[in-house]
Amino acid sequence: MKRTPLVLASTVAGLTGVAVFHSTPQKVVLSALNATAATTPTTASAAPTPSAGATPTTSATTVTPTTTPTAAATPTTSATAAAVPSTTSTVVAASASRSATGPVVNYYYGQLSVKVTASGTKITGITIATLSDGGNPYSAYVDHASLPMLQREAMSAQSANIQGVSGASYTSAGFAQSLQGALSALKLK
Amino acid sequence: MTTNAPHTRHQRIEVMGTVVTVDLYGDGPLQTPEVDAAITEAEAVWHRADRTFSTWRADSPINRLRRGEIALGEAPSEVADVLDGCRLAKEVSGGWFDPWAMPGGVDPTGYVKGWAAACALEALRVPGVTGAMVNAAGDIASFGGVGGVAFRVGVVRPDAPEALACVVTLRGSIATSGDYLRGSHLRNPFTGEATTRVASASVTGPDLALADALATALAVGGDEVLARIERLEDYEALTIGLDGVRGWTTGFAFAETHNRTGTRTTQ
Repeated sequence: MKRTPLVLASTVAGLTGVAVFHSTPQKVVLSALNATAATTPTTASAAPTPSAGATPTTSATTVTPTTTPTAAATPTTSATAAAVPSTTSTVVAASASRSATGPVVNYYYGQLSVKVTASGTKITGITIATLSDGGNPYSAYVDHASLPMLQREAMSAQSANIQGVSGASYTSAGFAQSLQGALSALKLK
Repeated sequence: MTTNAPHTRHQRIEVMGTVVTVDLYGDGPLQTPEVDAAITEAEAVWHRADRTFSTWRADSPINRLRRGEIALGEAPSEVADVLDGCRLAKEVSGGWFDPWAMPGGVDPTGYVKGWAAACALEALRVPGVTGAMVNAAGDIASFGGVGGVAFRVGVVRPDAPEALACVVTLRGSIATSGDYLRGSHLRNPFTGEATTRVASASVTGPDLALADALATALAVGGDEVLARIERLEDYEALTIGLDGVRGWTTGFAFAETHNRTGTRTTQ
């Protein structure tokens, strides 16, 4: 079973006639701008206007490929939960579904550790196991924005047919460090 | 011509408090001295940019310039280049991107990452490499593609960042800005307030430095900036509102297979 994180919120079919941008025919050319502030009425390469309006992508649950599917009660061993930058990683479970938590590392706003779940040689989930930030609001930001970048990066090769992901993020080297630890523990890297 | 998987090579660079990934694609093996040297140079470009432009290092040229300890002419020449680029970005964005409106004097940080990625990408144009991407934590500079086909890049869904809002056919670069949650770091240059008008703003175009600056401007300025980018040659944009509603410029390169939500345009 492939778990692609490519879940589009396609449920909402209500086409609200929204902000499709209808172009003005004139394009500003940078080179011209550089020289003077003049705008050159060139091109207008008759870009086809989108026919449909955009759909609001509300709701629609997204499948987060996290935790072990085999309800095998994979205990995320503690040990790592303490804010100790130990280098050891903990491997839990053996058979089909396995998980490991990387070392707790410092990142820009505090400390975190990354947990990786794998089935065979496939990564099935990457989550934050621990996060301490002293109440800094960026923690939520990091949790929701940065982690998925790495998660995507680690998983993209085996899921969606894409080569990269663009998104606002505060990816920290800390993620990479902890992730590496977890991956090594699972012998995935 | 074979159907073999393309050759790939990946490198991680930890710099500027983030992780930059370099992905190379070729028709033949990429473990060559030329490619080794190119990667080394790309890394050097990043570290040099960090030393020059870090606002966290007290003795960085940009900080010394900000404090008035040195004149622009005494700083490394890249500083003037970057400030020129910032000036252009400010003009093109109608002032919505404005490093001069930052507290503590001119701060080109919002431009430097894209600029450094673009410079690093140039170092990777060596024989054997038919496609390259430099991904600076979600802002991507690229040339070529994989197996003769343009790169496909997913844009993260702001309300569910483990999912993608759409996939883009990438020619050149793409930058995405936005404050998904609390803790806004984007600032309205006209009011000084930390606010955004959309949840996510993506800009594509040939130069990542400008695309990055425009994405920042777009996140803060919303529709007004989108209209400006519509008029700008070679640059396209997509916004996703806090309510999920999208807006885009007519040429935005949605990849075909991800138009299920009716966001079809070209390609």
